[in-house]
Amino acid sequence: MMEDIPALKVEGLSVNFDTTSVLWDIHFQIPQGMLVGIIGPNGAGKSTLLKALLGMAKPLSGKMECFGSPLRKAKKRIAYVPQRSSVDWDFPITAFELVLMGRYGTLGYFTWPKKADREAAKKALELVGMSAYADRQISQLSGGQQQRLFLARALLQDADLYLMDEPFAGVDMATEKAIIALMDQLRDRGKTLLVVHHDLSTVDAYFDWVVMLNTCLIACGPVDQVFHADTIMRTYGRSNALLEEVIKLTQNKTCGFH
Amino acid sequence: MLAFTSPWHYFTDPVLQAPTIGSMLMCLASALIGVIVFLRRRSLLGEAISHASYPGVVISIFITAVFFPKAHDALAAIVLIGALCSSLLGLWVIEKMQRSLKVKNDAALCFVLSIFFGIGVLCASRLQFSHALWYQTAHIFLYGQAATMTDIHIVLYGTLAAAIVVALFFLYHSLRIAIFDRDYGKSVGVPIKAVDAILFILLILAIIIGIRSVGVVLMAGMLIAPAIAARQFSDRLHGVFILSGLFGALSGFFGNYLSVEIPEWGKRQGWEWKFALPTGPMILLTASAICIMALLFAPKRGFVRRRIRALYFQRECCRENFLKYMWKNAQCLPVEGIAKLQFGPKSALFVPDSSSAQNAYSQSSMSFCAEAEPAQKSSNLSSKANLAIPSMSFTQLKAGMGFSLWQTFWMLFCLKNEGWIEEKDKKFCLTTDGWQRAAHIIRLHRLWEVYLVHLGHGVEKVHRSAEEMEHILTPELEQELTLLLDNPQLDPHEQPIPSRNLFTFIDTKSAEKTSSSEGML
Repeated sequence: MMEDIPALKVEGLSVNFDTTSVLWDIHFQIPQGMLVGIIGPNGAGKSTLLKALLGMAKPLSGKMECFGSPLRKAKKRIAYVPQRSSVDWDFPITAFELVLMGRYGTLGYFTWPKKADREAAKKALELVGMSAYADRQISQLSGGQQQRLFLARALLQDADLYLMDEPFAGVDMATEKAIIALMDQLRDRGKTLLVVHHDLSTVDAYFDWVVMLNTCLIACGPVDQVFHADTIMRTYGRSNALLEEVIKLTQNKTCGFH
Repeated sequence: MLAFTSPWHYFTDPVLQAPTIGSMLMCLASALIGVIVFLRRRSLLGEAISHASYPGVVISIFITAVFFPKAHDALAAIVLIGALCSSLLGLWVIEKMQRSLKVKNDAALCFVLSIFFGIGVLCASRLQFSHALWYQTAHIFLYGQAATMTDIHIVLYGTLAAAIVVALFFLYHSLRIAIFDRDYGKSVGVPIKAVDAILFILLILAIIIGIRSVGVVLMAGMLIAPAIAARQFSDRLHGVFILSGLFGALSGFFGNYLSVEIPEWGKRQGWEWKFALPTGPMILLTASAICIMALLFAPKRGFVRRRIRALYFQRECCRENFLKYMWKNAQCLPVEGIAKLQFGPKSALFVPDSSSAQNAYSQSSMSFCAEAEPAQKSSNLSSKANLAIPSMSFTQLKAGMGFSLWQTFWMLFCLKNEGWIEEKDKKFCLTTDGWQRAAHIIRLHRLWEVYLVHLGHGVEKVHRSAEEMEHILTPELEQELTLLLDNPQLDPHEQPIPSRNLFTFIDTKSAEKTSSSEGML
């Protein structure tokens, strides 16, 4: 059955790459059609997990499956929303052109976007309520508006799995509400969303499922079952710091720095 | 008699034609590639690669001198190949130093830049003794020399420049994503590494065709200057590309033109001392001149325009403060009717010990609570609003604001001219518009104070910040504040906050009242 195949299946994933945070022996499965929060302290490896899923951070070991097939084959079904701070907002590009990038994956490397792509980009802009700002240079937009653009770009990809890196960081209340409404819509259409999230107070209101990380996996499951004081303590406690330190040390040893 | 030769002459004259077109093509190519280097913040890379190409140039000249001493025409092509190999080697060393030797990017660039250049200079000095004539040729590539270019150069540079333009056109979208958002590009499957490789090849091509006319030492400037200038004028990537290419070609042309024309002109003027202007530095100077002009005078981002806008803002602040002062002063005078123009129900505007003021206050609050109240029929409401506004004399205003004579005079003149105040019997008072504007500023000031106190700041500290913010808050922010604070009526100092749409409300109501009462009469 299609529904029984998990949207994401990660087995024994370890990442120990020079600049990214460390991940150690992660196992979890996420069913389709879930709105999933990824929670953990700074440097716990939340972004690294997303990057490993996207093939940007090379894992030491581990197997990752997306909708039952290896990640490389499922790439077209994954949409990524990077952290807002990861790009240079002074770049000479308009809001519309940024959103249009969502179509580059289906475009050939040497071709220009077609009219249909432009129309689709316009619709995506409308969906996030940014049509009025289509021709603005992106640095003239507020933080919330910039985040909406990233979201519209991911929508344009028409993916089944969305990986979002802190979409609520530095965003106003109105945008946060708009984004969460949009996420609910996507989930109701059977999409799966993985969202790196910081604000513990909104976890049970926003998400169906939660992945709690601190270098290794603390808990993964439905919010009402796994998200409670004990797991939160373990996620944000200091006991994992030692583990991370040792793993980093092995990297330095193997590279010959120590 | 014409002082200068017509520019067109440079495209038709058999001697001048080749250097002019050659330089223009070369500058066009480097200006286009420069945009990418500039936007990726890798400006130093151009410098490193151009210096890294020098040993290749010298060695290929050496090889030509030894093996093909007659092949002057082929020299251009051989040098290109030599430079290409040498700069590729430089790039590889930079990459290796970063990856394997863990040297930081800028250090690796500096290292390659100086080491390769040093090796090049060493080789050239060897050439000086064995092949003195060829040493001159090697020297050309240090600072560039356009004048000795021939048709073969045009063909060679033309082809390469065209290749760069075509590659940029087809790669435009992949390129944009590779510069702007690499991670996202990778996630949608754009081959970032391949795009990078192509970019490096294009960069090296642009540099090695450029060093013939600008020289190894000055090449990096030719990459960056047109791109900086173009970015000042356009907020779109294709706009930046087109403008940068244009600026590049222009500086290529004018570098040639001026390097020939200025010494000629000097000769005609009968100057004693003779001088020659080398083309390479002239091209670079032209490009830099364009760049500096753009940095200073570009319409949106230019320094001068930004300065003017900042001054304009300061002036506006000053005016608003003046209006605010007049408004506040008018508040102290217990004139009936003003309260009605100002505040909502809970206003505690007037000095409590004045009984007439108290009276006015209670009247006004009543009239706002219930619109059909008989008090509202009082004559001063139906009369023109600004009649009730008290006026102030010149000396009062001057002393109150602490202005000099001329400052006060100028301020009053400007404000009168713009319709915010009016003069009656040597006294000044706010017009309805001026009153409205001043009340709005006060509203923003007090709203901001309420907001800061709401955030937990001390009441005594908020005034200073509000003095600044009252000039900055936009209508959208005002609305957000109003919503957030639930439309407050009093500020933290127990002063009433003028409400938002008061004047339109009063004006329409009073106009209706007068017309209807007139009709009844």
